[in-house]
Amino acid sequence: MTGVREPLLSISDLCVDYITDDGNARAVNKVNLDIYPGETVGLAGESGCGKSTLAFAIANLHNAPALITGGKINFQGRDILTLSPEELRQFRWSKASMVFQSAMNSLNPVITIGDQLVDVVLAHETISVTEAEKRAIAMLDMVGIHASRIKSYPHQLSGGMRQRVVIAIALILRPKLIIMDEPTTALDVVVERDIMDQLYDLKEQLGFAILFISHDLGLMGQITDRIGIMYAGQMVELGETEGIIANPQHPYTQGLLSSFPTIHGPKERLEGIPGNPLNLLDVPAGCYFQDRCSQCDTICIDVMPNIEVLQVPDERQVACHKVSQGDAL
Amino acid sequence: MSFVLRRFAFYFVAIMVAITFNFIMPRMMPGDPVDALFASAQGRMSLETLAAYKEMLGFVDGPLHEQYFIYLKSIFTWDLGPSIMLYPLPVSDLLAVKVPWTVGLAGMSTFISVFIGLLIGTYASYHRAGFVDRFMPGFWAFVGAMPQPVTALYIFFIFALTWKVFPLSYGANPDIDPSYSWEYLSSILYHAVLPISSMILGGIGAWIFNMRNAMINVLGEDYITMAKAKGLSNGRIMSHYAARNALLPVVTAVSMQIGFIMAGAIFIETVYNYPGVGLLLFKALGARDYPTMQACFLLIVVFVLVANFIADLLNLWLDPRLRK
Amino acid sequence: MLSHPVIKFLRRFYSGNMAAILGTLIVSTVIIMSAFASVIAENDPKKRVARGHQPPSAELLLGSTRSGKDVFSQVLHGGQVSLMVAFGAALITITIAICVGVSAGYFGGRVDEFLMSLTNIILVFPQLPLLIILAAFLGQVGPVVIALIIGLSSWAWGARVIRSQTLAVRNKEFILAAEVMGESKWRIILFEILPNLISIVVGMAMGTCIYALMAEAGLGFLGLGDSTIVTWGTMLFWAQSNSAFIVGAWWDMVVPGTAIAIFGGGLALLNMSVDQISNPKLKTGSYIKTWRRMKTEVEARRAQS
Repeated sequence: MTGVREPLLSISDLCVDYITDDGNARAVNKVNLDIYPGETVGLAGESGCGKSTLAFAIANLHNAPALITGGKINFQGRDILTLSPEELRQFRWSKASMVFQSAMNSLNPVITIGDQLVDVVLAHETISVTEAEKRAIAMLDMVGIHASRIKSYPHQLSGGMRQRVVIAIALILRPKLIIMDEPTTALDVVVERDIMDQLYDLKEQLGFAILFISHDLGLMGQITDRIGIMYAGQMVELGETEGIIANPQHPYTQGLLSSFPTIHGPKERLEGIPGNPLNLLDVPAGCYFQDRCSQCDTICIDVMPNIEVLQVPDERQVACHKVSQGDAL
Repeated sequence: MSFVLRRFAFYFVAIMVAITFNFIMPRMMPGDPVDALFASAQGRMSLETLAAYKEMLGFVDGPLHEQYFIYLKSIFTWDLGPSIMLYPLPVSDLLAVKVPWTVGLAGMSTFISVFIGLLIGTYASYHRAGFVDRFMPGFWAFVGAMPQPVTALYIFFIFALTWKVFPLSYGANPDIDPSYSWEYLSSILYHAVLPISSMILGGIGAWIFNMRNAMINVLGEDYITMAKAKGLSNGRIMSHYAARNALLPVVTAVSMQIGFIMAGAIFIETVYNYPGVGLLLFKALGARDYPTMQACFLLIVVFVLVANFIADLLNLWLDPRLRK
Repeated sequence: MLSHPVIKFLRRFYSGNMAAILGTLIVSTVIIMSAFASVIAENDPKKRVARGHQPPSAELLLGSTRSGKDVFSQVLHGGQVSLMVAFGAALITITIAICVGVSAGYFGGRVDEFLMSLTNIILVFPQLPLLIILAAFLGQVGPVVIALIIGLSSWAWGARVIRSQTLAVRNKEFILAAEVMGESKWRIILFEILPNLISIVVGMAMGTCIYALMAEAGLGFLGLGDSTIVTWGTMLFWAQSNSAFIVGAWWDMVVPGTAIAIFGGGLALLNMSVDQISNPKLKTGSYIKTWRRMKTEVEARRAQS
């Protein structure tokens, strides 16, 4: 039996609020998540559930009106939230980098992609410009882009190429963790497949962990080791991917999975999840999912369910009274 | 390259419109304009000059389009006719002396305004809800709504008349001979302080507001977030990511303001007796000196067009997306 | 009644919005005072009522001009004319700008190309010098003509803005749906497109008003208006011709100038608050202060633990 692995990233009781004139909306509500070296963890949920907010919090990127109001984010033992500005600057990108949703918008339109690769190297390592440029070219090669493109501007590249560039930039410092926020949402499925394949090759070579955020459960089912499902800022289910897809426990997860059609197999009726997303400025005392849950009970209305580890072999965690009570769902 | 050519063609058409406008205007006035000119010259114009002027303007016998071509020819050979009030001095000579003063005044003021506006605007965009951000726009709303001649006059009153800190008029001390000596140059600077300050004060409110908004928009962009996430230094982010992108709307804004700046120059030069094209226009208005008026107008239009063209070239240089 | 949508909208607009409240107050005060000029100021603005260049006193609230006329009365009556010119010019400008902008944006194609070339050429001309030359050639023109030439020369910028807004709206699905359903082009323009332009048009109206006011002042100052008519611009002209500042009669110059500044400033404040509605990113809400306070609290707690 191997020793207990140390998590690379350990988020405990994280709370992120949005301060507005109409009140404070808690977008991330006491979330706990550990990511181990080299694993791919997915984070799924509908729009507005807090997954992107969580991602931004990891690199402490939030500006007003968002504010991290509680919890710890331990990266290799150090709490990121207590870093000094200079330590934070050094931490960023070299230990954990990000791939944002829209590559076109995350690239600076007025400088070349070569410059955008080089400047991040120069900001973190004391090497010469020529050295940095060589690294840039090597990185572009790794993602399948020809070296001549180093002088191109973002608008001169296709959507798929831009996404590769952004991935190259994310990897150039060999970080231990890459956070990808809906990286393929804007691309068509063929390009998406290409990029994911490339990503997996790179992962084999370089050995980084990925936090993959998406609303596309189908895609995540294929590439992640573990998945966390978020609803209204809370983690409602967390466990190994295969287990969750085959045997979802939380009513919300079940609803999500039944909303996805399968290409193979018998035709089944699609069921959605009734109701609307929760208004974070007006939250109930009990479970946040109560208005839309088919299993809702009196205890669910009054008491907030905590996320608990189930007595099942795959270390599943679920935040639901009905499940904890042992009713098989 | 085609971008440059297209813009150049556009400006050429605009100049032609201006020249044509100048051609048409006197002909729309009641009566024969040249006779009216003669009358307002009050006997200072000899009959031969009258004939020469008529010829320059194209008021010869013949169809309208012939007159037009003759007029065009005069304009393009820079023969703008004689001035009425300073007869027989040709207008072109008159203008030649005045141009550098106005260019200096307008150029310096624009430069300083943009610079200060950028600084304060950036500061205000960074420190939202700070003192600057909250009160400045309101304060400048009023200062900017004061007509330019009036602000100029206030400054004139306070600094030149009452406190006598700065000179009352002229571009430089009239007792010094023009030369490249320090004495003369420093005199120019000394005399330029109030006019330039008046020009800046008149327009800077709008600048600050525009810069602030431009900066806020740029700072909200995703690539700035990514730059921060990359762990780049603040200096690099501000210069290469924020400022480089914020400059684009700034250049556009400046080019749109050039007309307004030239108008301001007219008023400021009037108040301070500053020897530029604006003052010349004012005097020509009073003296009904139509040739001079038209020439000043044409010159101002040319200034504005040239400035716009330069702005277009700047845009081309700054924004790689235009270089397709 | 209090929940009527217009009232609700107004309440939302004004609450906590100092700029809007102040702006509206100023603008309405000036308008009302000018409208009731004859009631408020008994002296005829054109009649000589005192010695020249008398300083402000109990009888002559704002002093007298060089020729002994009541400055207070002049500024109120002159306000009537100046404001009418400003509003009139703004009206003309907006009308032309809407016609040109909507046509170019909606009809597209050759109409668009033609109108835009025209607009761009006019746009690149410096407006005030153009106005000056026009006024000079037309002779001593009265306020009506001044309003006309201001209106006819300043529509270009507005037309461009309206055109881009129209283009943005035009491609929205509800317009395409209306066309497919066979709604006539005029009905579409009037009932679908125009309502979307309201916020822009309101902003433009105010901006043009301010510009027209300053243009009238500028033209008057240069002596291009009819100097026998009392407007804020001609007041400036006479003050300048009579070297008011130099002889120490500052009120002669300061009063009309300040009047313009106050009204223009009020309009500018209103304009800014309307701007912030259409682009909320530019607005600074009170949440920022709360945010800053909470941030310090959280960081203090974190440093302790």
